[in-house]
Parts: sequence; structure tokens; C-alpha cells
Amino acid sequence: MKFKRLVERIALTRPGDFLRRNLGPTVLLIFLLTFPLWEGSVSGPVHIKFLERMRLVGIYTIVAVGLNLLLGYAGQVSLGHGAFMGIGAYASSLLALRAHVPVYLTILMAMLVAVLISLIISPILRLRGHYLAMATLGFAIISFVVLREMTWLTKGNEGLMGIPKLSLPGVEVRTMGGEYYFIWIIAFLILIFSRNLVNSRLGRALKALHHSEVAAETMGINTSWYKIKIFALSAAYAGLAGALFAHIHSFINPGIFQLNLSIILLVMVVLGGMASIWGSIAGATVVVFLPKVLEAIPYWFGNKSLTQWFSNNYSNLEPMIFGIVLILVMIFMPSGLTRGLSDFFRYRRSPFVNPLKRGSGI
Amino acid sequence: MNETHFLKVENLTKLFGGLAAVNDVSFSVDKGSIKAIIGPNGAGKTTLFDLLIGVQQPNSGSIWFEGKNIVGYKAHQIADLGMSRTFQTIQLFGNMTVLENVMVGRHARTTSEFTQVGLRLPKFLREERKIKEEALKNLELVGLGLQADKLADTLSFGQQRLLELARALATSPKLILLDEPAAGLNTYEIEELRNLIYKIRDMGITVLLVEHNMGLVMRVSDEVLVLDYGQVIAEGSPEQVRDDPKVIEAYLGVEVNDFGGEG
Repeated sequence: MKFKRLVERIALTRPGDFLRRNLGPTVLLIFLLTFPLWEGSVSGPVHIKFLERMRLVGIYTIVAVGLNLLLGYAGQVSLGHGAFMGIGAYASSLLALRAHVPVYLTILMAMLVAVLISLIISPILRLRGHYLAMATLGFAIISFVVLREMTWLTKGNEGLMGIPKLSLPGVEVRTMGGEYYFIWIIAFLILIFSRNLVNSRLGRALKALHHSEVAAETMGINTSWYKIKIFALSAAYAGLAGALFAHIHSFINPGIFQLNLSIILLVMVVLGGMASIWGSIAGATVVVFLPKVLEAIPYWFGNKSLTQWFSNNYSNLEPMIFGIVLILVMIFMPSGLTRGLSDFFRYRRSPFVNPLKRGSGI
Repeated sequence: MNETHFLKVENLTKLFGGLAAVNDVSFSVDKGSIKAIIGPNGAGKTTLFDLLIGVQQPNSGSIWFEGKNIVGYKAHQIADLGMSRTFQTIQLFGNMTVLENVMVGRHARTTSEFTQVGLRLPKFLREERKIKEEALKNLELVGLGLQADKLADTLSFGQQRLLELARALATSPKLILLDEPAAGLNTYEIEELRNLIYKIRDMGITVLLVEHNMGLVMRVSDEVLVLDYGQVIAEGSPEQVRDDPKVIEAYLGVEVNDFGGEG
């Protein structure tokens, strides 16, 4: 029986299919697994704590993948995913702090809470385009206010402190490297899961409803139900990422999960490439490392004081810089970094043309 | 109740404000036949299709499909029951390949869900291979086999119409509704289309088509239904309809024969 299945499985794929499909992910996996071993030897003009930042890249990748499924594939805009991250972060931290639930369980519960809330607000998915964006914006604002004002639970602006570290049954993850592996293993599994998802009838259904809801319905796709499902899935990813974020930082406050975060998440998706799973990593990487790269630029021109000024003022400049980056990408590479380049090689299409223009939801 | 008829429409009415786009329309379609719906522009033909396929809901009347009243069903439920359509204005998924477009058509006939898909369980792999095979078969049928890997947007207009047809066929329909399939096609392509419609009929699929090209309608259809201002003004064989004075009047007294490829 088992043998028969194995034969069947092999027969299903053309020779080379397996390699073709998994070459990229394997390279990525090797890179991620070995990174902590050699990151110390990378040096540059500015000091970068690579592991610390790579943890963040992993977390942002998780959210960005979910948001990409929702926005890039299904064409539904959300300005509320920062809020879902906040919900996940608070749910997980509060369960761990107040109820003393082990962290590996609180993370799962945080995902569940995010999914529940996404299902409660799912009627907004009947709205389209800008209206949906407005509604999710409203959701983001409401969540922020609720987190800030429910002081008996969340301690308001003061925030939660002393959030327990990540843990597995019996082991607490204390080191930076441990956290790095913890996060990236989850992120990698999510990337693979999502990649499989988009290369299936479900992924095709999402792309179909993005382009023409009427035609998708006529093909037997329950469009409203699919939108809800993918919204819930992306909320689960965001909740998970929020929980991971809380447990590696041990401190959170509502300000972290403001609208600004939702916008940065959108920038990651657009930058990395709409409808591109791997683009999410690219987007997250650029967003996390951009400040350091910008610091390095004046240094190369021998202007050390400017570098210093930059690193001191970066947080003030951040929204402006992302705004500029977003504008430049939309003008010069509207399909994003990864997608623009891969489409160029695949279909000989110029990366400077927006393939999603017609019928695009945004 | 109405098992005898494959598709039976009874007193169907659809109002837009005060205007009756479809007004008390009744007709039936026999299994395995080719029926054409004709009428001047604005006669309510496309609205009738929208009602049949569940994109819009009628104000009154009933639609019996294989003995089931499908009024109130959503479009995707009707697709599950075995009714599919093509669109007058092409509604392809432009950013997907030709093959993927047709693969979307298999959606209603497949069942893999999130876990099976995400973990690539054997059931999903089996199903995925079958989807691909079926889709390729349908592409071959309409003659687009060689274009499988192109983006749907890059096809010519005529090819896009054929792709819509292949996609609709991929849903394994019992009844297929073709909304002006010949619009924008040249004489040669129309001839191909005619053969294709026969092929579809021979596969056991009932065909209902809205068409302005009288040459095609008169030659291909077993029965013709004529609509004007949302009402049925004539029904019968192509010859009967052609000689019906009411029909001639509806077309402004012009001989039906003279109608070429309008629209």
C-alpha cells in the first residue's frame, strides 16, 4: 500500500519537477541555517547586528506572506494587518503574563484570537477597492484605541513589560541565535505552505477572483467565502508574527502597532512584489536593512557626521523614506522587485510595466 | 415536477427600476439541442443569461434546471449544478497563463482544501494532475493547445474567445451558455466556431447561445427564440422564425437574411 503510494507520487511529477520546484527554497534554507555561523565575519562601514535584524526580517516575512496572499493574490487591500499583529502580540503576552500559559501555547492561541477577530470583522470584505481599504483603516484605528484605553488589561500607553521569552516544551529560548532559528523555522514552513497554496486550485481561485469576480463565480468559486478564508489565514499569520515579536522584545505598547506599521507592511508587499511569495522576504529584508544601508551611503562619501546624524534621526525620517521608496517603486517597477525580474525572464515582459494594472484592486 | 424538461423557464421577469428588461419570458430547452436567442440590441438577451446563471436574481418566475428550481441559487452553486457560460465582454484572468485559466474551470469539480494543498498530500497531487490533463484536453479541443504557456492577455481577440469557451467547458457543464461567441470574429473563425459548437453538442452538452450573426444562428441552431423589449415574440425552427412577420417587424422590416455580422 505504502509502496503503491510512493510509486504514484513519483509518477505524478515529471522528472526535474521536484528539483525545479525546490531549488530556490533549498538554497534559501541553506543560507538561513548557516547564516549565524558566518555572519560575524561580514563587516562594513556601519555596525549591523545581523542576527538581531534577521529575527525581525523573519517576523515581517510571516506577515508579509499573509498580506501578499490577501493583497497580491486575492486583490483585497488591508490596512489593518498591523492591528492584527498587535492583537496577536497582546493576546500572547497577556496569556503568558496573567494566566502563565507556556509561550509555545500562547502563540497558537494568539493566532486563534486573530482569526476570530478577523472572522468577526469579515463582513467588511463585501466592500471593494478603496472602500475596503477605508474599512480596514478604521479597524486599525479602533484596535489602537482599544489597546490604549483598556488600561485594566493592557496598561495603556505604559505597555506590557517582562514578557516571557520564547519557549518550547521544557526549553526556554534565551539566546539571539536560538530566537533566530525559532523564528526562521516557522517562517520557512509558512513560506513553503503558502507557496504550495498558491500553486493549487485555491491559489488559482484567489487569482481568478482578483481579476474578475463574476467570471470566478461562474467557474464555481464561492468568492465571498474565499475572501473570508484568505483574510482569516493572513490574520493568523499576522497574529503569529505579533506574538513572536512580543516574546523576543519582552516589551510592547500600543504605539508599536499603529497605522504606521500597517503601512510599512504594505510597503513590504509592494516592494517585494505583488503575487510573489518569495518577494515577501525581499520586501521584509529591504525594509529592515534600509536604514543601515542609508547610514552607510554618506560614509562612502567620507561624511561621518552625516552618518551619525542619520542614525540619530532615522526614526523621524522613516515614514518619509518609505513614502519615497514606495513612490519610486510604483513608478519604476510597479510589479515589485522579485516579480518584475522573474516575469522579465519568464515572459520577456519589461519589469517596468504593471501586469496587474487591468482589473487591479488597488 | 418538471422532470420532462432539461431547462424550463417560466414567467421570468426582471425589472430595472420601472423597466422590464426581461418580461414574463417562458421557454424550454431540450437536452442535447442547440438553441439560439436572438433579438435587437437591448432586447434583454444578456440579462436573461445573467438570470439563468445566477449573476442577477429575477423579480418573479422560475427556472427549472433538471427538475430543480434554481432561482435564488448563487452563481457558484449553479456552476456546481452544471451550467456554465462565456461572456460577451471577455472576462479572462489576464495575468494567468492560458492553461491556468482553463484549470480554474475545474474548480467546481475538485475538492482539495487548505491542509491537503499546503502539505501537498497525495490526494491533492492526484487531483492536480487530473486538473491539468482535463484542462489540456479542453485546450486541444478549441485548438489552443500550443498556446498553453502564454499569458491569457497576449492572445488575439479570437483566441481569447476560444479560451473562454475552453474554460467554460472545463467545468464539465451539462448546459453551456454562449454570449455572442461570434462577435468580433472573421468569417473563417466563425466557420471554426460553428464546427466547435457541433462538437460541443456531440459531447452531450446542451448549447444555448445569444448571437447577432444571423448566418451562424440560422445554420447552427435547432430552435430559435426571438426576444424584443424583454418579451418572447417568436419561437420555433430557424425557418419558421425567419418567415415570422413579427420578427421581421422587430428588425425594422429588414429581411433577416440581410443581417450580417452585427456587433
